[in-house]
Amino acid sequence: MIPVEHYIALSAVLFVIGAIGFLVRRNIVLMLLGIEIMLNAVNLALVAFNRMRPEAHTGQMLSFFLIAAEAAELSIGLALILAFYRLKKTVRIDDANLLRH
Amino acid sequence: MMPSLLALMPMLVIGFGALALMLAEVVTEAKAGLSIGTAIVLLAAAAFAGAGWIAGPANLGDASVFAPWLVFDKFTLFFEMLLALGGALTALVAGGYLREHGLERGEFYAILSFATLGAIMLVAAGDVLMLFIGLETMSLGAYALAGFRRGNPKSIEGALKYFLLGSFAAALMLFGFALLYGATGHTDLVGIRDGLAVGDALRSPGVVVALVLILAGLVFKVSAVPFHMWTPDAYEGAPTPATAFMAASVKAGAFAMMLRILLTCFGDERSASWATGWPPVLALLAVLTMTVANLVAGRQESVKRMLAYSSVAHAGYLLVGVVATIRAPEQATSAVLFYLATYTVSTIGAFAALVLCGSRGAEVVSYEDLAGLGRRNPAVALPLAFFTLSLAGMPPMAGFFGKWFVFKAAMDAGLTGLTILAFVNSVIGAYYYLKVLVFLYMREPAVGAPIAKPMFSGEVATAIVVCAFFAILLGLTPGTVLDMALAVGKGG
Repeated sequence: MIPVEHYIALSAVLFVIGAIGFLVRRNIVLMLLGIEIMLNAVNLALVAFNRMRPEAHTGQMLSFFLIAAEAAELSIGLALILAFYRLKKTVRIDDANLLRH
Repeated sequence: MMPSLLALMPMLVIGFGALALMLAEVVTEAKAGLSIGTAIVLLAAAAFAGAGWIAGPANLGDASVFAPWLVFDKFTLFFEMLLALGGALTALVAGGYLREHGLERGEFYAILSFATLGAIMLVAAGDVLMLFIGLETMSLGAYALAGFRRGNPKSIEGALKYFLLGSFAAALMLFGFALLYGATGHTDLVGIRDGLAVGDALRSPGVVVALVLILAGLVFKVSAVPFHMWTPDAYEGAPTPATAFMAASVKAGAFAMMLRILLTCFGDERSASWATGWPPVLALLAVLTMTVANLVAGRQESVKRMLAYSSVAHAGYLLVGVVATIRAPEQATSAVLFYLATYTVSTIGAFAALVLCGSRGAEVVSYEDLAGLGRRNPAVALPLAFFTLSLAGMPPMAGFFGKWFVFKAAMDAGLTGLTILAFVNSVIGAYYYLKVLVFLYMREPAVGAPIAKPMFSGEVATAIVVCAFFAILLGLTPGTVLDMALAVGKGG
């Protein structure tokens, strides 16, 4: 059986990859993808930690709710990206430059 | 104790009321009544919370059968009243604004109601699951409201930045809580606290990383410098009522979440100590937030953007209060709550007054637009001047007492340096607020410049009167609300 620590390590790596993706990428869709990778790392961590404590299903429960909430968040995000694309014909964050100090 | 739904009434009223209003909007197509209807639903929720306060949270019966993960204490009831009032005032402002600017679509009120419900769930949450659902319900509503003007590039751009950074912050916080679950095996806040108290749990690297991630997420949500970049953009692009909602209710909800998490999970001696815990981090961020926001606010040409930076600066003063909870928990908590009450009515009042100053196609944005308004339309200029002064903290306005109690709590907690910095900042901050008065009363519009034509709306005027009533009440007799805030601070 694969030890739980490996899952935790994988989840940490995924989380960092997602965060770097969010911070480095200039394409808004890929930034959103970075956030999704981070959130899935959270889900993986919750399920893995739950395996260390099989007496309750708290972590798995939480991850189910997170999946649903992430779907809602994603739909708002895609709606905003779509509206942005309609107006600007681009999905690069650098072109979101109307509002400046 | 008998199982009872009484404690849940404020949330049920908003939830079912919002559904009923959505249905009414589809069936009747009567848009005009929606804003008043939403305001009535939210005020009814506030009244239920007020009744619960008078009866005492202990006498509301046992709601744990229906909602085991919600905490019903005076803290929750106080914020239920404040958030429902903020939502109701926003609905009234929106009624006038959306009609005037041709944006009248029923979704605004439904999203507003559900976002308010989310903020209340966030405040009442005693479990990470509930906390996150509340946070997402509130935030998703706020993103949608910020991008409400779909055809306007500024609105969409601000909403997009708000959404991206807000989701990033939520992901950081969630990973922090997942690590805490790994360390303690609990997702309820009290269980996390008890789990952390066992042995050397607080020294383990996982818990330290978790605390850092959660703090980062929290300061993002309250828009403290250097995590404030989204604030001015989102506030400037959003329709003004949505800006008022984000500045007042979303900020109040975020600070309530911060207090709940820090005081419940990380209120122990090690985490809340000056040498080894979160207080120095928050103190540094508080100083940065106040200073940067005040300096940048002074350079803005747009009044809306200035008010956005002003809300960032207020987050800095509030952080001073949060830091003070380490040594004077009761006094500092109540000071933060009182400050949020004064800030809510002053901010919504200021945005409502700004709405009244402009009209269709001639929305007031810059200082120049305000020039000479005091002479041409004194009735419109007066409320704007009044609420700006309250935000500046001019005695005897409400804002003054809010600052006074927070600074006093910080002094009593022995944070002299921090208090002095906060005081100096509030004096510097007065400059850009006074600039509004200068343009209102001492300048004339440049020759050929477009002249702002104020609109009239009974709903917005009502919202202004209610805000002014509370601002004067909190300024002249702060006792009642302060006693309530103190009761929250003492717990129960």
